[in-house]
Amino acid sequence: MKVEVSNLKKYFGSTRAVDDVSFSFASGQVVGFVGPNGAGKTTTMRILATLDEPTAGQAFIDGVSVIEEPELARKLVGYVPDSLPTHRDISVHEYLDFFARAYGLKGAKRRQTVDGIEEFTNLSGIRDKMLVALSKGMKQRVTLARALLHDPPVLIMDEPAAGLDPRARIELRELLRVLSGQGKAILISSHILTELAEICHGAVIIEHGKILMAGGIADLLSDSVPRRTVLIRVLSRQEELHRELLQMHGIETARFNGEEIAAEVSGTDEACAELLAVLIARGYRVVEFKQQRANLEEIFMNVTKGVVQ
Amino acid sequence: MTAEAELSNSTQTKLKFAERFDDWLNPIVVKELRQAVQSRFVITALLVLLAIQIIAVAIYLMTTADISFSYDAGRTVFMILFGIMLAVSMLFVPLYSGVRLAAERSETNLDLLFITTIKPRSIIFGKMLAAVVLTVMIFSACLPFLTFTYFLRGVDLPSMAVVLAIGFVSVTLSAQTMVFLACLPVGRAFKFMLGVFGFILMVIGYVSTMATAGGMLWEGVGSKIGSMDFWQWVGIIALNYGFQIGLLLALSIALIKPISANRALPVRLYLTIVWIFGGIAALLGSWVEATHDPVVYWQASFNIVFAFSIFTAISERDWPGASVLRTLPESSGKRLLRFFFSSGSANGLAWTVSMIVATYGVCWIWWRLFPNVGSLAELVGSTRWLTVMNLYLFCYALTAAFLRRHWLTRIGTKWTWVICLMLVAIGSIVPFLIGLLVYLNDSDWWREDYGIWMVGNPFVWDVAAHRSLYLSVGSFWAVLAIAFNLQWFLERIRGFHAQSLSDKNQSERLE
Repeated sequence: MKVEVSNLKKYFGSTRAVDDVSFSFASGQVVGFVGPNGAGKTTTMRILATLDEPTAGQAFIDGVSVIEEPELARKLVGYVPDSLPTHRDISVHEYLDFFARAYGLKGAKRRQTVDGIEEFTNLSGIRDKMLVALSKGMKQRVTLARALLHDPPVLIMDEPAAGLDPRARIELRELLRVLSGQGKAILISSHILTELAEICHGAVIIEHGKILMAGGIADLLSDSVPRRTVLIRVLSRQEELHRELLQMHGIETARFNGEEIAAEVSGTDEACAELLAVLIARGYRVVEFKQQRANLEEIFMNVTKGVVQ
Repeated sequence: MTAEAELSNSTQTKLKFAERFDDWLNPIVVKELRQAVQSRFVITALLVLLAIQIIAVAIYLMTTADISFSYDAGRTVFMILFGIMLAVSMLFVPLYSGVRLAAERSETNLDLLFITTIKPRSIIFGKMLAAVVLTVMIFSACLPFLTFTYFLRGVDLPSMAVVLAIGFVSVTLSAQTMVFLACLPVGRAFKFMLGVFGFILMVIGYVSTMATAGGMLWEGVGSKIGSMDFWQWVGIIALNYGFQIGLLLALSIALIKPISANRALPVRLYLTIVWIFGGIAALLGSWVEATHDPVVYWQASFNIVFAFSIFTAISERDWPGASVLRTLPESSGKRLLRFFFSSGSANGLAWTVSMIVATYGVCWIWWRLFPNVGSLAELVGSTRWLTVMNLYLFCYALTAAFLRRHWLTRIGTKWTWVICLMLVAIGSIVPFLIGLLVYLNDSDWWREDYGIWMVGNPFVWDVAAHRSLYLSVGSFWAVLAIAFNLQWFLERIRGFHAQSLSDKNQSERLE
């Protein structure tokens, strides 16, 4: 099962909301869709969910074109929009039962599916509560439950963690882990990048409708940041090492806090390895040489310019 | 088999039937009714209605001292109760259905429904059916009070039944009108204006329903039931309501369909079917009654519908969506038929023009076949008038479309109707104003020549002295407009096949 977006374009008049976007991901992968507001994330996601039509390009879910065969594609996608359900005078169970009917589930199968999803999303205890009386976190669970009713192999989630408290976020993250473990392909957009990095296998960074960077999280972390921060601790001659590092070619800054030195090395892992070799060659007794990994937030800040359409 | 086992079998059969019935129900109806019975607003409205009715009856009975001698007490009380019930129903049911749908449409709730397997027609039928059930609920709650009036004398059961039926249909039509208005994809401010417009429509509907109901109650239906005229009248009213409800349903379905879908299909299919059957009925009626009146009514109704259709057609998307093109048949004959019923500006214009020409053709043949039948002048006059009106609107539409494509490219296709309306206004007013300035001091101008300066007005056929001028200008303009748009139109025909999908993707069709 593969989701493939190829040269997707969406223009609103002269505004290029999505401009030649291509990426792909497969079953069991959680992919973060990252970008500033107005970058084109929601538009791309709506096209994948068959709610909008692109100006040009294609998007396939398991080989089914979402543009040419939207009816077929809809069976393969569960969509979680960036807004929460607002229906009045309807309980959680009635809401899910309604959507199960809308997905064509009948009789005992419908009852079993709704009960199963309620249990999976931990909604069984509040199934008779009115939707409007629920907290944001609970409403988000209901939305996720609704998207899972027809057991889609692909989940498209637009800002599912927005406005949730830490507990609700952690619970959502756990649910996504389980879903990913079940083999679902998940595309998730969020502004909470630290959380994305924890659950995502890959990320697509988009700005001004164009993809700036895409790939596995590990690759992005190693490729995108042009310098590395290395924490160095030596048994003796620490101040001397600090002075030496400041004069060394390829070292941008070095800070000494009395215990260890944080040095910023320009270049990739190669440069770090070279620095370690130099230190040992110069007789420093290195007890700790730890590379501080860049996080998704740092990558995001590095590659995006904050351009909003 | 024991009695217990038999009982268990029968219970199981009933349960299975109930389950099947439950599965068969439209999900929207189930949801809407679940929400309605749990809504404080609905319950309060029902209780208030019943309280008002009790109070109204009590006040009437207490203030009318000689009630036992009055022969129209039942009729008066029925009218009061019916008025209250109709006011509440016509205000409450359409507002409840319309506002809910508008709210769902402005949020993402409807989007979520689109990505299920439910069809847009099920959504609209469901909303409509839920409104009907709510109306039945309100009418049922009021029925005991209304029945009570029978015992006060002055009202017969057939009149009560017919008046209730008229009220029921009026509420249903109002609800469907509000559902249609709620489906329009407009902003909040415009939605509010539409709400006000809908409210005015409902008030007009209420007043006319009450006037009809009053007339029927005072004249009494019982004595007329046996006459053919009465049933003819009922038939015409029912067909009229049916046509309006059907058209609103088809338009609402088209409006909520996803943009990639063939939105034009339900509306054009519905209008074509009604045009055919309505035409047959009108011709038969004209033949039986020996008057052209039914044909006049038929052609006038449809020519007005086609006038609106011209504006809609030029505002449709430039190309049909990929999902529409993908399903096109290989056979060129079948594809040609699909061309007329697919979304797209060129497709819409082709369908509308064909229908206008066909309407004129049918009327022309009919008045040639039956020149001695009554209302011939009305048929010829109204058909020519409305056809020339549509010829002018067609010219304006093609000019607007051409201007938008070449010079007003920043304006989206969906706003072409606004350009067209502006052109109609300019074309109707500017020549007349020039004439007014030229002949400012000529008092005879008003009596003689002003018609020449109305040449840009699509509705001016009534000025008989200059008809040949209007027709010549209209025809010449139509030839020019067609010539300027021909290449665009031919490209749309050539591109109307499944193979063109990949080419179109390459060439990035901008909306």
